[in-house]
Amino acid sequence: MRRIMITAVAAGLVTGLAACGSSGSTASSGSSASAAAASCTNAGIQKDLYTKGALTVATDKPAYPPWFQGNNPANGKGYESAVAYAVATQLGFKKSQVKWAYEPFNDSYAPGPKKFDFDINEISVTPPRAQAVTFSSSYYNVQQALVALKGTTIITKHAPADLKKYVFGDQIGTTSLAFINSQIQPTQTPKVYETLNDAKQGLQTHQIAALVADTPTAQYISSSEIKNSVMVGQFPSTGEHYGLLFHKGNPLVGCVDKALDTLNRNGTLAALEKKYLQVYVSVPTIKP
Amino acid sequence: MVGPPQTSFGQARRGSRLLGSGRGAVAVSTASTIVVLGALAALFLLAPGSAVVRHTFFNPTDMWKSLIGDPRQGYYSVGEALWLNIRMFLAAEVLILIFALLLAVIRQSDSPVMFPLRLVSTIYVDVFRGVPLILVIFAIGFGVPALNLPFVSSQSAAMYGIAALVLSYSAYVSEVYRAGLNSVHQSQVAAARSLGLSHTSALRHVILPQAVRNIIPPLLNDFISLQKDTALVGILGAIEANKAAEIFSDTVFNYSSYVVAAILFLILTIPLARFTDHLIARDRRRRLAGGIT
Amino acid sequence: MSQAPADPDAVRIEGLRKSFGTNLVLDGIDLSVASHEVICLIGASGSGKSTLLRCINLLEPIDAGRILLWGQDVTQPGIDQNRVRRSVGIVFQAFNLFPHMTVLRNVTLAPVKALGAPRREAEQEARALLERFGLLDKQADYPDRLSGGQQQRVAIVRALAMRPQLMLLDEVTSALDPELVAEVLDVIRELAGSGMTMLIATHEMSFARDIANRVCFLAGGRIVEQGPPAELFTRPQDERTQRFLRRITDAGRL
Repeated sequence: MRRIMITAVAAGLVTGLAACGSSGSTASSGSSASAAAASCTNAGIQKDLYTKGALTVATDKPAYPPWFQGNNPANGKGYESAVAYAVATQLGFKKSQVKWAYEPFNDSYAPGPKKFDFDINEISVTPPRAQAVTFSSSYYNVQQALVALKGTTIITKHAPADLKKYVFGDQIGTTSLAFINSQIQPTQTPKVYETLNDAKQGLQTHQIAALVADTPTAQYISSSEIKNSVMVGQFPSTGEHYGLLFHKGNPLVGCVDKALDTLNRNGTLAALEKKYLQVYVSVPTIKP
Repeated sequence: MVGPPQTSFGQARRGSRLLGSGRGAVAVSTASTIVVLGALAALFLLAPGSAVVRHTFFNPTDMWKSLIGDPRQGYYSVGEALWLNIRMFLAAEVLILIFALLLAVIRQSDSPVMFPLRLVSTIYVDVFRGVPLILVIFAIGFGVPALNLPFVSSQSAAMYGIAALVLSYSAYVSEVYRAGLNSVHQSQVAAARSLGLSHTSALRHVILPQAVRNIIPPLLNDFISLQKDTALVGILGAIEANKAAEIFSDTVFNYSSYVVAAILFLILTIPLARFTDHLIARDRRRRLAGGIT
Repeated sequence: MSQAPADPDAVRIEGLRKSFGTNLVLDGIDLSVASHEVICLIGASGSGKSTLLRCINLLEPIDAGRILLWGQDVTQPGIDQNRVRRSVGIVFQAFNLFPHMTVLRNVTLAPVKALGAPRREAEQEARALLERFGLLDKQADYPDRLSGGQQQRVAIVRALAMRPQLMLLDEVTSALDPELVAEVLDVIRELAGSGMTMLIATHEMSFARDIANRVCFLAGGRIVEQGPPAELFTRPQDERTQRFLRRITDAGRL
């Protein structure tokens, strides 16, 4: 019963936003649009906040680059940190009004009220997950990529038939495992690591032939973290994208989606991608 | 001056003072148990967050999905993963029983020749009883591959897990063996040695069989504990039941897989617990032969 | 461990001293036992009878003195203690049967494992011994099913199965109900009659008087007086012996 209600509300919000978006960001085109615009002011959203007067954003520890920098979400550097602050600005918050909370990934989808307004943690949006929590629209479209150590066989032999023979590794809770099993379909069971650091360790100790992670993470690992590693390539998109995570039915998502839409259309997201995710470096695409 | 002997020691009463011991008592204790359990169940079912918790933890659809798994969707079968736990604890248990016995016998020895071994064994037991198992698993599972030794550094996560479990549990079980060895009365040792049996022979045929019979409950207790600790090997990436549950839950955002894993572990451990009870009951009658000391 | 024919003494103890911590239990024991002799050790509890027996079969290390068995000093370093113990049988007050084995296995364990006898042969001999002492029907029972007297007789058979040249009996009837004592004493009597050299610590004075070639009275860790039972029991020389015997008589045990 509750699910039907929430779906209906969400549908209503999406429709409202679509109407907003199609008529421009600030120009009002009718009472519904202006009503929606009015409720997303800083004053209007106070009632939906975890703590009044502040925007509480959560992420995991450690906060990995290139999504964050220096393991300090509050410095505004790194793609996700920058996006969070950009959204906050859209919602009328000052930088000092953004508070960061620590939320381990496993806890972020636990039922019940959350200790944050939204969680930004490279969380892919999937239908089953959307039943337990509410997601914003996409703030980044994801492709999966491969990292391997220099001089290993997979660097040169990664045709689809060859790929099946390797032992892959990934971090638990990412969609990389589903990708490996559904797209690559290896003959040997992949290794699933508790943390990204463990997965990197697994690569360096030759427990796995290649690590599967999203392209920016893979890019950062191969260029800065594991000196003798290289990004073999990225796989074609499967429509995967990252969304901000809210507790189920949080009405704040409407205004956040609006903010994201604005940031998308005014080029902010693209600029941040360029700045932090090195998208300008062309990455070879390999087939799974 | 002593008075006349007491001839009356009070009225005989049937059963205990509080409840008696007839059918009435059984009815009362049954009823009160039901009431307490019922109250707990009511608390669970009527709590405000109950529906959400039931959906998140006890959702039959998700429980079934996690039980059979679907690798394409990104999660594995918890049931199949349990097989890895089973194989790990069977292998580990055999090695532990042997290694721990060795440690215990060394530590119990008297001869000066054995002193260096005795010292090493004592340090070993102190270290591996003191360090948490999860740290041992971590050290072995990530440290040994990093050493890049031939063969040794290229084992599977499960193998490192077994090694860590053996190292850690042998320390505990060796202490249980020692208690068992000490529990065999010195007169048995005297009888065996006085017949001309060597120290080893006496140990093997007279002391150990009795020692082990005495410590079957704590040994099986440790075994049950071992079965559950195999779940920790998941941190090395081995897809055992608990890890499979975690993968499912992280992928689908539902915790019901953990309940499935818990139920499966119970199915493993409860029969073993009953078997332990059976062994204890069966062996009691032979324990007290041999006369007074 | 063969008998040295040059020395007629089966056992010779010289100046034996033994302490447990600060407690001096044996304070200079000198004793000779000839082959086929039966010696009874009597004395109050704590006089050192048990300790003396346990020293003879090397269960306890000694502090001073020496013990010679058939002319060989068994207390010197380098002696194979297991071999010594195979030639000396000992039976304890508490029977000490192995509770996890049947009667038959109790008897055959040491012959098979220590002497290397083939199992079938050991079992045959064991059965013969058990039959000789009326215990054959108990061969498949576990010790907890036997009465005290039966267990003690099995303990004696178990010691005999090793074919010892010398038997040490340490208060073997003290833990038994009175009606079971007789059957055990009968076994010992038969052994003595068959020529076994025996050292028997006992409280059974009338039995000692019947069976012993010589009786030794221990007090305070020393052999205060020894002699043929007829003499020692009727004409004790030492005052301590007299006092002890008087106490025994008063208690109606003589």
